Amino acid sequence: MHRNQKKVALMLVLPAIVLFLVMTIYPFVYMIYTSLTNLDLSKVGTGQFIGLKNYIEIFQDPLARSSIGFTVMLVVIAVPVEILLGLGLSYLIRGLVGEKIMRSLLLIPMMVPAAVGGFGWKMLYNFMFGPINYFLSLFGLQPIAWFGQSNYAQLAILIIDIWQWTPFVFLIIYAALQALPKDIIDAGKVDGANGWRLFLHIELPLLRPILYVTLLLRVIDVLKTFDIIYMTTYGGPGSATSTWSFYAYKVGVSYGWNIGYGSALSVILLIVSILLVNTLMKLLNLGKELGLVKE
Amino acid sequence: MSKRKILYLVKYIAAIFVLVIFLFPIYWIFITAFKPEPEWFSMPPVFWPSKFTLANFLGTGSSTFGTTTTSIAGIVPFLRNSVVIATSTSLISTFIAALAAYSISRTKIGGTGLAGWFISMRLLPPIASAIPLYVIFSKIKLLNTWLALILPYLVPATALSIWLLISFFNEIPQEIEEAAYIDGASRMQSFIHVVLPLSAPGLAAAAILAFIQSWGEFLLALILTNNASAQTLPVYLGRYITGWRVAWGPLSAAGLVTMLPVIIFALIFQRYLIRGLTLGAVK
Repeated sequence: MHRNQKKVALMLVLPAIVLFLVMTIYPFVYMIYTSLTNLDLSKVGTGQFIGLKNYIEIFQDPLARSSIGFTVMLVVIAVPVEILLGLGLSYLIRGLVGEKIMRSLLLIPMMVPAAVGGFGWKMLYNFMFGPINYFLSLFGLQPIAWFGQSNYAQLAILIIDIWQWTPFVFLIIYAALQALPKDIIDAGKVDGANGWRLFLHIELPLLRPILYVTLLLRVIDVLKTFDIIYMTTYGGPGSATSTWSFYAYKVGVSYGWNIGYGSALSVILLIVSILLVNTLMKLLNLGKELGLVKE
Repeated sequence: MSKRKILYLVKYIAAIFVLVIFLFPIYWIFITAFKPEPEWFSMPPVFWPSKFTLANFLGTGSSTFGTTTTSIAGIVPFLRNSVVIATSTSLISTFIAALAAYSISRTKIGGTGLAGWFISMRLLPPIASAIPLYVIFSKIKLLNTWLALILPYLVPATALSIWLLISFFNEIPQEIEEAAYIDGASRMQSFIHVVLPLSAPGLAAAAILAFIQSWGEFLLALILTNNASAQTLPVYLGRYITGWRVAWGPLSAAGLVTMLPVIIFALIFQRYLIRGLTLGAVK
């Protein structure tokens, strides 16, 4: 490559590099610094260096533990349910008349801004006037105070996340199924595999790489859960449905103004996310995908 | 009926049932937006309004708290903020991303490392930028401005667009450009007159995706703005919903305005959208 050409190439990527340095790397470094201080925007004279005190506090803080715990619970329950449902849905809809329209309609829950979706569910879960309790009453069941009891509130959030993101998993698997190499499937059928056996021994192993990518994308996203919590339970009752991000928001910005502690919570979340994103990047096989390396 | 046909029918009914469940929350917002006041709160709930009224949009529905404020007239400043912020983010991010993606596609500059770094910027948790940006912006007096949201929104939008556009540029054969050089065009000229028109669908898809993401963003908007001068629609919804009993009709009307552009764009551009959102896992 000519030196001049190289210079132009660099000039063209420079705006993006500057953007990411200024708007993410700099704030992240700044946050690592504030996480080591007692910065409190509501108090004058704060911002002294206090070492790892904020980090140590996280381990002793029951609210931090329960918020991280609920976030992990979302990951452990919602993500597998979404993958199983998404897988089931792909097989259900595949081959039906109008499957393209069904796919388009299923896009809607994941596209609608989470704040709007959360608002819709808040109406559905309403104790006195909500359709959900009305449906329960048709089966002779007592109305449930969805946001009033810890287990029900947690279940309610799980359901919203599953509603919002099962379509995403479905879309990926549905497309992947259509891209499966036909000759291998046909060879399996010739060998007498069909139904369950075809799925378990031939299709599932072929789907495995894409399932891993989907799993990671979902885990990375669920760790950020915030909007639907804010719109529905506001972390309650107590702190039963407070998530990692929501708690960091509450102590850091909303009423605590405890920037130092909120920063420490976010730094740990960021580190966990970076580790997962790195794993994902390896799975995506970027070099080949984008034609950056010779195959 | 053969066993096969029965199975098909069962599958069909199950699929319709699933669709109804998944679309019900959206349906509920939609019909509530048009319900007259006595039907907002009723038991049994009203599944089809006795008449469709526009009162919720006009702010004349009732005197319940929030009725006039969430009317169309009341949300105009927030609607304006959302439009300005999402449109600016969309245009600027597509421009920055097009330059970078073109360079990477043609020269492989930075290799897998740089491309991976760019793309990973889209996946990091927003709370991790929101807290430091809150402190930084409050120091440089940038809170409550359009720029306070446009700047951070550029990050995921640009990252995603770079990804989408690299594969678009890859599909434009380099020979076409070389032909332009031979005809005496400069690199810049060939980019503007040859590459850009050919990649117009890709650029449009990137711009729409950036628009949709910025339009619905919640956390950063919640933290970095707090009044009508820059606050966007989703946060405006959030502000009213924390109340004990909110005016469902007008709030649904505002919710409908918030989600309608996104649904329309999403359905039109679904192919590119799926490719972008799944990071290329789906072509």
